[in-house]
Amino acid sequence: QESHATGKRPDNPTDLIEEGELLLTLNIFYPVIFQKHKDHKPYQTVLVLGSQKLTELRDSISCVSDLQIGGEFSSQPDQAPEHISKDLYKSAFFYFEGIFYNDKRYPECRDLSRTIIEWSESHDRGYENLQSVKMEDYSFNDLSLKIGFPYLYCHQGNCEHIIIITDIRLIHHDDCLDRNLYPLLVKKHWLCTRKCFVCKMYTARWVTNRDSLAPEDPCFFCDVCFRMLHYDAEGNKLGEFLAYPYVDPGIFN
Amino acid sequence: MSAVPGLKEDCEELLGAFQQADTVRFERFAELWRERRFHTIFYGRMRALERNKITKKTLDVAQQYFFPPYSFQIRVGALYLLYGLYNAQLCQPKQKIRIALKHWPEIQKFQLDLLDAQHYDAVYIFRRLRLARAFHFTAMPKLLTYRTKKKIEKNYFKEEFKDPSNRVNSLITNDVLEELMNIHDHYQKMKCVISADKSQPDKALSLIKDDFVVNLKDITLEHQEWQQNRMKLLQNAKVAPETEDKKKEETLLKSEGSERANALARIKYKSYSAVVEVSRSRRHRQVQLESSESGPSCGKSPGRSKKASRTPQPARRSSSEVRGEMQVAEETVTQHIGMPIIIEEDSEE
Repeated sequence: QESHATGKRPDNPTDLIEEGELLLTLNIFYPVIFQKHKDHKPYQTVLVLGSQKLTELRDSISCVSDLQIGGEFSSQPDQAPEHISKDLYKSAFFYFEGIFYNDKRYPECRDLSRTIIEWSESHDRGYENLQSVKMEDYSFNDLSLKIGFPYLYCHQGNCEHIIIITDIRLIHHDDCLDRNLYPLLVKKHWLCTRKCFVCKMYTARWVTNRDSLAPEDPCFFCDVCFRMLHYDAEGNKLGEFLAYPYVDPGIFN
Repeated sequence: MSAVPGLKEDCEELLGAFQQADTVRFERFAELWRERRFHTIFYGRMRALERNKITKKTLDVAQQYFFPPYSFQIRVGALYLLYGLYNAQLCQPKQKIRIALKHWPEIQKFQLDLLDAQHYDAVYIFRRLRLARAFHFTAMPKLLTYRTKKKIEKNYFKEEFKDPSNRVNSLITNDVLEELMNIHDHYQKMKCVISADKSQPDKALSLIKDDFVVNLKDITLEHQEWQQNRMKLLQNAKVAPETEDKKKEETLLKSEGSERANALARIKYKSYSAVVEVSRSRRHRQVQLESSESGPSCGKSPGRSKKASRTPQPARRSSSEVRGEMQVAEETVTQHIGMPIIIEEDSEE
């Protein structure tokens, strides 16, 4: 895989990756939002070092569900809150080989895997001992992994990504040897961005339901067109509708 | 990964020519390489992404020949081929050769063999590749990609490149023979101990051939020699089919094979055509000989016509079919013997 970072060396010599370091190639699949993705799931490919902690990978995964803003804001469009879901719901886990690695770095983090473990223990379902441990305590070198076997990353309670390890090898002279650049994104699937229904130019930022002023349900608008159509010069709400802030999946392109 | 069309054939052609040359010298390989202008395998206006993919696939195809069960000469050829391909590639930075963890002991052993045999050019080539950092040290040989394959391509080994399969040798190794010898001696000693006459075992205790280990070793050696001769004949037969002598050898080989086939066919025919008459208590279930050739008569109808008779007779059509097959078998190697089918008679007696 060609990457912009090939052959890079760090400025700080302590950041130099040593010989004998392992390099893992992971495919992280997007959750299926669009039906057309069902057969050929889009994914991003990430290179990660064996000595890196699982939390470093978790922080590097960019998923649109992290940026969702919850709430209906038709009456107060200017007050869409600053908080995105990533800040509110910090829990996440990885599942590798029968062990759930839960993110427990912040007090708000909950053990999302507990439900699954309780379910499997409630009856004899044929799964061996499922365990739950802390994600921040483990690095990739500590894991035993199967290449090509699907594993799971779950965050936001119900946003699930399949993770598949496609390659494990020793670090090579021609690789990027700057530790700070890892986990390194080398490949990303490009998603179509949804444009505003009115101007067809800007990316949609609002979505409306049961909108008496809109031709379809749901309908997507950019910020300018949304305000122009639904509010008068004084900022009063016109017509009946429900409005939600919309984050386009293509935001990471 | 979908295969690059013609790539495997080209590599095999080059390696085949190298095998014919019957040498492991790099100069000879380089001549063959230059004759074919093999470096042009990477040409063709491609963008960088496609070039990387194709180079990766090329190296992957070539490195397969570097490991057992391919013969020594092919493996040296593969080493030279990898060297040539690695240096001739157009990718910048160069694509590396993936070698899996499980293969490294074999490679190191191979290198030692080369050193022992004083094939210093091959050792040098390998050293050059190592110094050039041409290898990726991976956990698994194949890099995974995720596309639903229409059919799984079976990995087949080209027969001529393979070392002759020495199953017999791998089963009866020197270690095994040595251990057999030891056990045999121990056994003899035990027999002596419990016999009346301490110097030799009782006559009643002689249940095995005393020199069977030596015989086993001789038979194994004989088999190995036979196999080597056969391989040589096969190779010669393939190379020069026009020569008169070669033709004889060919027919010799063929007849050797077909002789055996005929002998087998004869034995099978005898055993299957002689249908055993069943005992009286089971007379309602006579065995009838049926050929498994296609034909409308196969199946139910012969059963019906033979209901009354007690002595089984082969159904007329099927026996002549079987005999007809035998004649065909004498001319060609392939033959097809009808298998007996036991027909269930209708329940009335």
